[in-house]
Amino acid sequence: MNPTAPAPAPTPVTAPAPAPLRRRRRRGQRRKPVFAIAVTVVFFVLLYLPIAMVVLFSFNSQKSLTVFKGFSLRWYEAFFHDSVLLGSLGMSLEVSLVAMAGSVVLGVALALGLVRNKGRLGAYAGLIMMVPLITPEIVTGVASLLLFKGLGITLDSGTVMIAEVTFSISYVTVILRSRVAALNPEVEEAAMDLGATRWQALRLVTLPALLPAILASAVLIFALVFDDFVLAYFTTGVDPQPLAVRIYSAIRFGVEPTINAVGTLMLAGSITLIGLALAIPRLFGRRGGLDLISGE
Amino acid sequence: MALRTPVRAETPAGGRTARRDRRPRPSAAGARIWTWLTLPGTVWMSVFFIASLLLVAAISFGTTDELGDPRFGTNLGNLKALADPAYRDVMVRSLGYALLTSVICLLIAYPVAYAVALHAGRFKNALIAAIVVPFFANYLVRMYGWSVLLADDGPVLRVLRAVGLAGAHTKILNTGFGVIAGLVYGFVVFMIIPLYAAMERMDTSLIEAGRDLYGGPLRTFLFVTVPATRQGAGAGVVLVFLPAMGDFVSAQFMGGPNQIMIGNLIQDKFFEGQNWPLGSALTMALMAVLLIAMFGYLRRARKDEAEATR
Repeated sequence: MNPTAPAPAPTPVTAPAPAPLRRRRRRGQRRKPVFAIAVTVVFFVLLYLPIAMVVLFSFNSQKSLTVFKGFSLRWYEAFFHDSVLLGSLGMSLEVSLVAMAGSVVLGVALALGLVRNKGRLGAYAGLIMMVPLITPEIVTGVASLLLFKGLGITLDSGTVMIAEVTFSISYVTVILRSRVAALNPEVEEAAMDLGATRWQALRLVTLPALLPAILASAVLIFALVFDDFVLAYFTTGVDPQPLAVRIYSAIRFGVEPTINAVGTLMLAGSITLIGLALAIPRLFGRRGGLDLISGE
Repeated sequence: MALRTPVRAETPAGGRTARRDRRPRPSAAGARIWTWLTLPGTVWMSVFFIASLLLVAAISFGTTDELGDPRFGTNLGNLKALADPAYRDVMVRSLGYALLTSVICLLIAYPVAYAVALHAGRFKNALIAAIVVPFFANYLVRMYGWSVLLADDGPVLRVLRAVGLAGAHTKILNTGFGVIAGLVYGFVVFMIIPLYAAMERMDTSLIEAGRDLYGGPLRTFLFVTVPATRQGAGAGVVLVFLPAMGDFVSAQFMGGPNQIMIGNLIQDKFFEGQNWPLGSALTMALMAVLLIAMFGYLRRARKDEAEATR
């Protein structure tokens, strides 16, 4: 479920290609791999077609999900008049915001502590923050459900928030850890030589340097949590339910075209957020944001 | 970046000398601050993650009371039930589907990663972003769109019928192939990213050398490119296998009642059957399979690394 897990660290996207060698080739041109390119084209078509179908039929004037009759916004209208779905939207936004704030605060602190803490605590923390990354969400969902029931906590938006924070901390920490490790600790020490306390050095020197990565991970977590279904499904109460859980029930027990409209809006939202997460490091004049996803 | 916020402004001039006198101590004070930063996240994860996993293990030995609520116990019945043919078949099927999914993802991801990493020129970054972005679209919505596309009278089958690749009664939905198609669509990006990274890192002059030594494109690919990117492929297999094994949405949307996977069983025990101890036992079985897979992968990866550094 996570792109940031044990993938070996890739080199920066801008790795220099041995271009001169290629040009020096004696016989013939470097052939284009026709087969690989054909597979890639088919892959892209199949990757985007399902999404295109959802978007297209969200504008269908008829109830049909197979025949497009004409353009209309009636399903969007239906969504904005559906108080249950709007309640779910509100809950999802609330859960995502809280989970984002909570996991960023805990995750950034953990990343800082992990990198600088060479003791046994650091080793233990480094180990347990990796476990969620290799645990399927359904296991995390079952475990959270059992814990909440065991502690006698009523399932509602609060339990979803707790579970989502738990799920998200690892992502924040993984993203931030390499950034923290790349910082030059001498800059912090210089600040302290100039009279800053350890805390001031952290707040005024280290955190500003980490800001792009922190913002990017915050946006990423918001998008992941907003779209998350499995954990929400296991930890939510009956009413209200997060939007993803409503979508699940709607798809499973008879599809209303309204779902296409909701799906399209969610697509637009996530794509905007991910674009933002990729663009943030660039905006700060750093390397491209893709290494964030490919698991540096 | 750091220069933008002058530290000086925040520090009263008077305090400066006093603080500097205390300088021999920062390592001790520093260690403490890092501990305080590590603690909250560690405690949170220990309580809400590690403890809850242990609770799943404990409940799998439990029983249910008259109301269907779980009770702790020393009951081995749930673990024994896992050997029941009905459950065993589902577990074998899940394993088979997840493995097949990994293989198909490998077959798709190799050409795609190859074409994008080595032949896309300046569009490389845009293309890889175009692969990653849909992955962040809602999983359910994507899966639903995919099921519409692969429906019995959907566009894909209509095209296949028109070109004679599918008969009038060929189905994709409600077959095992439908489930695998769903899993592949859901998780193929996890295979492409590490493979892409490995190809980026690869020394392309190796491919040139292979060609110069009269290796055909296929031979060069099999004996040069594949071995050079083996680690990326290994990471990709793990990243696809883990979520595929635990998925229950694809089996529901694409497979119907005869293609259920272990995730569907777990869901059923918790939401419909109300047998949490048995659900916990199934969860433990799932976790066991994944830990074994993970362990095998890590051992293999370490061996590869040891060989590479020798």
